[in-house]
Amino acid sequence: MASPLSFTGFVWKNLKRRRLRSLLTLCGIGMAIGAFVGLVGFSHAFEQGWQSIYSSSGIDIAVIQQTFLNTSVDEAAGAKLKALPVVAQATPMIYNLMDLTPEVNALVYGWKADSFEFQSLKVLSGRRFQDGQAEVMLGDLLAEDLKKQVGDTMEIQGTPFKVVGIYHGGSGLEAGAVIMPLDQLQQLSSMQGKVSTYHVRLRPTPRGMSAEAYRKEAQAEIEAALPGLRAMPATERANNNQFVRMAQGSAWGTSLIALLIGILGIANTMAMSVFERTREIGVLRSLGWKRRQVLVLIELEAGLLGLGGGLLGIVLGWCALHVLAILPQTASIASSSFPWALAVEALGLAVLAGLAAGALPAWRGAKLAPVEALRHV
Amino acid sequence: MSDATLEVRDLHKSYDEGRIEALRGVDLKIAAGEYVVITGQSGSGKSTLLHLLGGLDRPTSGEVRFRDARLCTATDLDSYRAESVGFVFQAFHLLPTLRAIENVQVPMLALNHPRADRAARARALLEEMDMGHRAEQYPNQLSAGERQRVAVARALANDPEILLADEPTGNLDSVNSAHIMEILIGLQRRRGMSLIVVTHEQEIARAAPRLIRMRDGKVEA
Ligand SMILES: Nc1ncnc2c1ncn2[C@@H]1O[C@H](COP(=O)(O)OP(=O)(O)OP(=O)(O)O)[C@@H](O)[C@H]1O
Ligand SMILES: [Mg+2]
Repeated sequence: MASPLSFTGFVWKNLKRRRLRSLLTLCGIGMAIGAFVGLVGFSHAFEQGWQSIYSSSGIDIAVIQQTFLNTSVDEAAGAKLKALPVVAQATPMIYNLMDLTPEVNALVYGWKADSFEFQSLKVLSGRRFQDGQAEVMLGDLLAEDLKKQVGDTMEIQGTPFKVVGIYHGGSGLEAGAVIMPLDQLQQLSSMQGKVSTYHVRLRPTPRGMSAEAYRKEAQAEIEAALPGLRAMPATERANNNQFVRMAQGSAWGTSLIALLIGILGIANTMAMSVFERTREIGVLRSLGWKRRQVLVLIELEAGLLGLGGGLLGIVLGWCALHVLAILPQTASIASSSFPWALAVEALGLAVLAGLAAGALPAWRGAKLAPVEALRHV
Repeated sequence: MSDATLEVRDLHKSYDEGRIEALRGVDLKIAAGEYVVITGQSGSGKSTLLHLLGGLDRPTSGEVRFRDARLCTATDLDSYRAESVGFVFQAFHLLPTLRAIENVQVPMLALNHPRADRAARARALLEEMDMGHRAEQYPNQLSAGERQRVAVARALANDPEILLADEPTGNLDSVNSAHIMEILIGLQRRRGMSLIVVTHEQEIARAAPRLIRMRDGKVEA
């Protein structure tokens, strides 16, 4: 015994009628959403990696150059920073992305041997490097990747370095990085006298003051003492970092293009389906269906295609993230935990894409005059 | 006040910016529960008149009145079609993706019929058409005569007062034709519906209690 026909049941049957076409459309939008989940998820993981570097080493504020083109800070700023009463510790650092071998490129940090940032690292074997020496420490993931041990030498941009320690870092980003003396990296990247940023730990928040207010005050104080530089909360710095921004930019750019193609796919499918069903739409109208109901019918079909594509896309994205978490090139960045919030966002995006794609065909279908539609052959 | 269910006054309908005049001044009254047959040559405007009577289209000038109220706005026409009119077409026009019983429920979706009632009501209508045993079939699994009986059940879905049939027997053999006409006239009698049938068939026309002949967009005297 058949259950009562419902609006959604009708929608479902219409999609099922053109099974192959519906499936292909689903794949189109699914790929787009998959790209979105994979790429944006990956860039989120990247951002989180940075964030945990800051939080695990207890950094409150990063001092950076304000201008877009000039991204380095003069080393002279260090002394002034340390003289400020709110500042407990300030340590300079440089970071850069470098090719270590033709296949492997990694983040290279330049730290001072006495930097407080070492506190968040666990030295697994060997020791800390010494300032002024051609020595490096490797993250455990990277060391494994490069098959290097304490005592080995390796060449970075033509200069030989001795591996003196292997460490485990608080974040995946650190696990895949190289750390060397600040002065060595300054030489390698021709940044004598310059650093990328100063990381600042503040003195404890005074009683009766909120941490937030205290940090704001400290920011203002630092910026007043060092004109031209900017004091950024560490959390903000993590997603404002040039690498993170680049990753996010390309992730969104690529997925938007994919999404646009997916939307065009649904729009094409729905336009064809409305055209083929012109007479059926006339029949519906002759049976008393209102324009609005025809519109809703077609929009529901398009929305359902979007929803199905979204679900498929989440599965694809999930697979992509898993593959990225396994591949040696990306394992240090991709986290294996699935970004559920992003998946929900992607599903919403997919449904919206479907509705947007269906809007024009739906409007055209609803606009058909019943008699004309019935006469259609 | 008039006792007519449907009344048209000086109805004109032209196409192609007036180049084609399908209706050229039709006046007509149809009483509640009346059975009327419309005949006339091909192109004389029968379908056009039926479409205007059924609220599927709007006249170029003149008016269609239902229960003494003029149908003017699009919403008037939508709810008039949904609640008061049932259409039967020559080509059946069943939806191919839906089973017979689901096809019968399509007009119910236009109104907010309680969900639970729909299937039961559709089944009862199919049984009334002697089609209960074919309720789960798809249209392409049915014979022409069976399809038209499903279409009649569908036309009755919202319990309309007016049944409009445009050459309902045009695609049927003589046995099925007679059967469908029997069903339609039976419905008109039992339910007290107004029944308007457009046809070319002399036999149907001869048997009609009231016959309207059309010629060149007008009713012949
Ligand atoms: N949409 C349209 N555009 C142009 N002309 C039309 C349109 N619809 C109908 N006509 C014309 O209006 C006239 C009446 O058409 P109608 O369909 O009402 O005739 P009919 O009496 O039902 O004919 P038949 O018996 O062949 O079905 C015809 O000349 C037809 O060509
Ligand atoms: Mg006709």
